[in-house]
Amino acid sequence: MIKPILYSICIMLTLAVQAAAPVQQTLPALAKPFAAPEFELKGEDGKSYRLSDYRGKLVILAFWATWCPPCRFEMPSLERAWQKLKHKNIIVLGVNVGEDADTIFEFTGNFPMSFPIPMDLKGEVVKKYPVVGLPTSYIISPNGKVTHRAVGSREWDKPDILSRLLHMSQTR
Amino acid sequence: MKRRHKANMLPLLLLFSHAAHAVQQTTGIDAQAKLPYWQVSDNAMSLRLVQRLPVQSRAFFMARGFSQRQVERIAQSCIFQTVFKNISHLSNPSVLEYDLRDWRVISQDKRVKMKLREDWDYELRKSGVGTSQRLAFEWSMYPTQQKYKPGDYNWGMSDFNLKPGTHFDLQLKWHQSGKDHQTTIKNMQCAPDINPQSGDEI
Repeated sequence: MIKPILYSICIMLTLAVQAAAPVQQTLPALAKPFAAPEFELKGEDGKSYRLSDYRGKLVILAFWATWCPPCRFEMPSLERAWQKLKHKNIIVLGVNVGEDADTIFEFTGNFPMSFPIPMDLKGEVVKKYPVVGLPTSYIISPNGKVTHRAVGSREWDKPDILSRLLHMSQTR
Repeated sequence: MKRRHKANMLPLLLLFSHAAHAVQQTTGIDAQAKLPYWQVSDNAMSLRLVQRLPVQSRAFFMARGFSQRQVERIAQSCIFQTVFKNISHLSNPSVLEYDLRDWRVISQDKRVKMKLREDWDYELRKSGVGTSQRLAFEWSMYPTQQKYKPGDYNWGMSDFNLKPGTHFDLQLKWHQSGKDHQTTIKNMQCAPDINPQSGDEI
């Protein structure tokens, strides 16, 4: 009689540990890759960013906003990843949703971000992909196909994620 | 002896198989928010709902350019910070799906639907709220429908369509690995408005 009770306690403890555990650093592949919707947006630096200008590179397209807690958690790791990947045929585009340059500037004062930050001021590009919650990131292959989607923040500079991105950047 | 051993193992295996799909509910005080939370989880999903004080909603939406009247309308709702995660391990991956339109809020023998980002958007448009404010509102609300692969999660606000301080049960449904699941979280409570402000309807 004691054994089943002990088993039951062990299983409940396992479930509790799983629920409290940090989110796994996954990069789920899409069942049906699709052609990346084109966009051209003005960046917070005043430059214009057009997705098709990066054809031939692997694109990490991260949709985010300054008020979103998981985005604030994710952005520093995306910056660290960018520092390691920027000379490896990979580009990071951190598309901010619905905020102006002043708001973003204030945020980057505390969390430096050196990759391009196109501004989706009217929230039109975010709907094309489609995103339903922030942050959401897509991986766009060098030939312009959206191949992977990560919903929620990731630690982009973790070695397993970096090595997967490097591998994808070399796959045509 | 061998047969007896097998017979002993059978209830344990049944228990394990049942427990592996059992939904565990916990409640307490969220360490970060210092406010009550309710959580349900099993081997693949975790949903955590943390009370959000009206005063927090006031501060958040005032900072995003909403008028005093609009802010008060939001503050007088029943808002919870919501985090829904797919915690299934890659060795046994699950896909989770939910639709908040299927969830029901039960209070004083009445079953009501949640107030979703689409409902709020309709109301805010009708009131002439500007695009940037509506965008901020839309993206801060929990997605109405979502599909999570392992490691995926969202974080946002849910509105249970009740007045501050109201007690309620929440009947929630989700789809996991080809099966429909549902459970009820009993005796939740909307955060009370400890510092009410006057404000007209928007």
